Parts: sequence; structure tokens; C-alpha cells
Amino acid sequence: MVELVPALLRQELARLAEDDQRLDGRGRWESREVSLETDCLYNAEGSAKVVIGGTVVYAGVKFELRTPWPDRPTQGSLMCGAELRPVAGRKYEPGPPSPQSIELGRVVDRGIRESGCIDMESLCIVPGEKVWGVMIDIHVLSDQGNIFDACGLAAIAALRTAVVPAERFDVGEDHKLQVNGTPIMASFTRVGGRFVLDASEQEELGGDERIHITLGDEGHLHSLQKGLKGVFTPAEFAEIFDVAQQRCVELRNLVSKVEGN
Amino acid sequence: MGGYGDVQLLRDDGTRLDGRKVDEMRPVTIEAGVLPAADGSAMITHGLNVAVAAVYGPMEAHPRKIQRQDRAVIDVRYNMAPFSTSDRIRPGFNRRSREISKVTADALESVVLVERYPRSKIRVEIEILAAEAGTRCVGITAAAVALADAGIPMRDMIVGVASGKVEDTVVLDLDKAEDNYGQADLPVGILPNTGEIAFLQMDGDLSPDEYNLAMEYNFKAAKEIHEIMVDALQRRYQGGEA
Amino acid sequence: MSQGQTGAEQRLVTPGMAVGPSTGKRAGSGIIATEDTFIATQLGWLRELNNTVSIDPINAAYMPRSGDLVVGIVAEVRNNLWFMNINGSFQGLLPMSLAPWKVEFGAARQHMDVGDVVLARVQEVDECHNVVLTMKGVGLRRLNQGTVESIPVQHIDRVRGANNERLQRLRDATDCRIMVGENGRVWIDGSADGVSLARHALHAVSKEAHSKDMDEILNEIENKKKGDA
Repeated sequence: MVELVPALLRQELARLAEDDQRLDGRGRWESREVSLETDCLYNAEGSAKVVIGGTVVYAGVKFELRTPWPDRPTQGSLMCGAELRPVAGRKYEPGPPSPQSIELGRVVDRGIRESGCIDMESLCIVPGEKVWGVMIDIHVLSDQGNIFDACGLAAIAALRTAVVPAERFDVGEDHKLQVNGTPIMASFTRVGGRFVLDASEQEELGGDERIHITLGDEGHLHSLQKGLKGVFTPAEFAEIFDVAQQRCVELRNLVSKVEGN
Repeated sequence: MGGYGDVQLLRDDGTRLDGRKVDEMRPVTIEAGVLPAADGSAMITHGLNVAVAAVYGPMEAHPRKIQRQDRAVIDVRYNMAPFSTSDRIRPGFNRRSREISKVTADALESVVLVERYPRSKIRVEIEILAAEAGTRCVGITAAAVALADAGIPMRDMIVGVASGKVEDTVVLDLDKAEDNYGQADLPVGILPNTGEIAFLQMDGDLSPDEYNLAMEYNFKAAKEIHEIMVDALQRRYQGGEA
Repeated sequence: MSQGQTGAEQRLVTPGMAVGPSTGKRAGSGIIATEDTFIATQLGWLRELNNTVSIDPINAAYMPRSGDLVVGIVAEVRNNLWFMNINGSFQGLLPMSLAPWKVEFGAARQHMDVGDVVLARVQEVDECHNVVLTMKGVGLRRLNQGTVESIPVQHIDRVRGANNERLQRLRDATDCRIMVGENGRVWIDGSADGVSLARHALHAVSKEAHSKDMDEILNEIENKKKGDA
């Protein structure tokens, strides 16, 4: 369903931007409250729930035993998918996966995969015969803006708390999944002409393009994505990149804190 | 119902593997209004089951061919998240979830005052996040709370509960092992105030007496769960009162 | 609709709940009668007034009624009519004969396009929920400036207060023009600060409908205004 954008909303967002204000009173680089909970679902080998404002997302990790690809006999595999089902909002309709949900899943997937936090060799059980396939499924339950950051955070938190169910598959003892690093996504949306962090539903409705930046522990870029109609300048990117560095450190600390408990 | 060979489901003292008595249900918690994007929503934990329900509408029913000139249709989608079961489920509808969606819609249409909203549809989305036997009942309970939370008029709530039979003994609220290795399962949707039944399925083998006892257990549990449902709704809107 | 204002002694009821004997009383909205008992059909606060038992719902969808002032958003334009989103289950239809301009067939889009926001009135609603809107009438027009906020329809009366007294206080305190549509959309126009304050007050009402009185919020704004002056 195509959403209706009231002309007055875009006009108001532009006016607020001139005064460096936002619809809900936040600062330009201010996020809504983020809450993270892990190990919240029975049956998932790793799970996490993320709430950002009115956005609610779950991620669950499952494992399967599979035969490795012939050209990579000692490597396991990783797959990350997102579902934007009709539960998430009025605008979502039933049917096969939408381009939006595929984009969402693939952006999260790339951030995790390219950061190298999962050593594919560590997923090997018997070279050429048996490896682990790790599957992260992300389920968006309520979209009130910025589902990308919520999904990225839920996915890495679920992975970092996952336990490999080796006993159930009769291939040794259960053990924690080895995850070397915490890639984090920070997303920016152009609202009223300038980029803001953590856009709300209304800001996304009346806004333009978005940029997603996934950074690793050392602050290196692992995944970038520009989505929706619009263009930006290198100077604009430089500005949000600095903010992304801070944001990623904050969210990474949140993951460590929750893991420590 | 699966085979009931060598798995022992009842202890010598008559209690069940998880320590429950035969007529004892698993612990239930419900929270209303958990999904801000929805018009109404609820989250339920029932034993290790976790489910959410979201309600959207009433809205214009489309495509047009599903419109009813004299009432609203209730469009239910029951879905199990890929990570909700022991083996991952491939996303997408299957025959089981389609059937459950259909009979759940039939049940909800029996309590919602659908004639108030001609040509409309009310969307009910049930998402099972963790499954430990009895998910269709858990989904119905969550859907009823979400409908009430959305302000949809209903002549009664509806509570999903199940009893069954293990080792020739009628027990309330089967857990996973009991569901897998038991002899019968009787899930129902009960209207707690009128005492009517809007949802009924059964499989396995029950004698008439066993059926009566299982139904008696179900009604007892429905009363308990209904109190938790009412409490969830009242807590949401009275909780903040100074 | 005065829920929340008289405090905690009101009873919050859920669908199916028996709410007392029906003898000698009338069933109002949200109540059905079975034999000798009234049954609640909606989540809300139970109210008895002039021998009529009814429920003030906690959540309710907008149900258009003839004469309602609404803030609509143009959703679709045809040669001779507009379809408007009015926050209801169904779109409202504005025929060019009820537009405030003389419109040539095929030229509807020149007057109003998708996304435009209007102040309109519900002309008629038939039994099949078809809604016809009109823009002929004092003050009905396309809204070219200002902003639109949403509030739950069941809180509209709280925002207005008796005889629109609260709404007037909000207008005075924020120096804004404010129109409250029956469909839960509120149009606000004024200075940037005024609009922010009004928006803040409306959000607070929506969020804290049962814990904080709108008067308190108005007092805060008024005191702040005095302090600034």
C-alpha cells in the first residue's frame, strides 16, 4: 500500500529543519530510547528483542547441519533474512517478500558478514562433509520508524548470545557461538532537507532518502546502503559519518552491557 | 497425536514431568498494547510459548470480492516465526497455518459485533515467536485481548485453552512432550461470560467421559486465563492513574 | 466523553462483562442487554447518566456522521471528484459540485492534488458507509499552511473542554489558530514556538489521557508564557 504524504507534513518538516528542530522535540543527532533484551525466546538458539521508540523487532538464530559447498569444504555458512509482515504496520500487506524486506535483510546480512565477526572456518565440523549453517531471522513487529537500526542491533545481539546446539545434532557438546566483534548499524534519513539520526515514522513519511552505515569495532566501514529517492553530497556524508562513529560505540556498549548481565 | 510407546509422561505420584498436577495449567502472563504501530495489540506468554497479536481496522475491505454488504470480515493471519520451533520453519504460509487462520477467524467473527461495520475488514495478525504446544489457543487469547485493546466491540471475550490425554489420563494444557506423545488434544475457544464455545478442534482418542472431563478442565482454565486478560487490559489503562 | 476527569472511582470494563441489571434503564453506546442484565461490548469507562448506561471507549475508530467538521487529505483525483482520506474506514468523496470553486470537468487536479490538506464537512453518510464531503460553507477550504497533528478521537472532547473553553485557552496560550476535526486531526497554524507548544500539549493529552489533566498542561504553558513575558 502506498502511503499518503500530506503536503503540510513536508512543509512543516522543512520549517522545523530551518530552526534545527524535530517534530518530537529531539535534537538532530538524538536517538529515541533504545532497549535491548536477549535470550527471550525458547526454541531459538540465540534471540534478542529491540525496542526503539515505538519500533519493536525480534531476531532469532537457528542452526542446521549441512554439506559444505564443494569449493569451500571447510566453511560453514551464514544467512540473514528479515520479514516485514503485515503485523508491523497498516502499510504492510501479505504476500511474497517485498523488495523492502529483502533490502532490509540483505543490508543487515552484509554488515555482519563483511565485518568478519563470524569465522566461517569455525563452523566446520568435518571438512567436506559437515558444517554448520547459521540462520538469523529478523521479525519486525511494529514499525514506527528506523527499523534498520533495530534489525541490525537485534541480529548481532542474537548472534552474540547464541549457543550452538551440537548435542541435539549429535556432533559434540553445546557451546557458545564464536563471534569476534560487534558490527553496528547507524541510519540517517533526510528530513526537511537535512539528515537526522533515528528518524521517526512521521519523519520517514515526510522525508527523503536514507543512508545506512555499518561499522565494526575499530570504526571501519563494513556495509553502506543508500535507499529511496534522493541524492547527497560528500560533505553531508562526512558529517553523518562522524555521528555514526559515536552512535555505533553507544550501541556496542549497550550490547556488551546486556551480554554481561 | 504421535505414538505413546516408551515415553513416560506421568510420574508415579500422578504429577506430570514438569511438576504440574493433571488439572493445572502452565503459568500465563499477558500484556496489552505492546505494539505501538497497531490499533490494538497484546503479548502473551503461556508456559514457554510467546505470541503477539496486532489488530488493524476496521478499514475498507479490499479486494472488493471479499466485502460483505452486511458486516465486516475478519482477516486473520496466524504465522509461526522461522525461529519459533526446534527446526527452523521456512517463511510463508502453509496448509496448517492457513487452516488455523481460517478457524480462528470463524471463532472471532462469532464474538465481534461484525454487523456494525459493513464492507469493512478487521485485520488480526497473530505471530508465534516461541512455540511449546498449544500455539493456536495462545493465539486466540492474544487476538481477543488485542481486539479489545483496539476498541473493537465484542459481545464477549474469547479464551483459547486445551486439554488432552496422556497415559490414559485426562490432563489440562498439554506441554510439548505431552503434545508429541499424548493420546488426544482438545483445543477450544471459550466465551468466558456466556460459557459458549466458538472454537473447537480435537484429534486423538477420547471416551465420552474423558471428553467431559477435558471440557471441564478447559472451562476451569478459561476462567483463570480470563481474569489475567481482564487484568492486562485494566493494568494498561489504570496503571498510570495517580 | 468525560473519561478520566472524575478520577479513579470510574469503573473500567471489558467486553462481555456484566455491568448491572437492566431493569428501568436504557442501554447506551457500548452496551447490549441480555434478558435482565447489561453487558459491556467495549473496553472503556462505564458511565450512567439520566438512566442511560453507556461506555466511554478507551480506543475508538472514527465513524463519520453527517455534519462533522473533518481535516481530510486528498488521496485520489478523478476528472470530476476527489477522494479524501478522513482517518475513517472509508475514503470520503468530494464531488466537484461541492467544491468551493467552479471546476471544469477534467480540471479537478488544478485545484487540489494528492497530498493536499483540506477542511471539509461531512455532507452525508449512507447506510453502506459511503461518505460524501462538502467544502461549501464558512471556513471550509484548502489548508495551505500550518501543520496537522493526530489525536485519538475519544480524546477530542477533553481537548475542547466545555463550550470549547480549553481549546480557546490553548489557542490563547500558544497564539495559534487551531481547528479540531471530529476525525481526530487537528490543524495548527502560528509561530514556530506556538506550534511546538500546541503540539506538545496535544501529544501529552493523547499519552496521559488518564493520568494527567489537560488543564495542568495548559497551566504549565500559561505560566511559562507569563514567565517569559
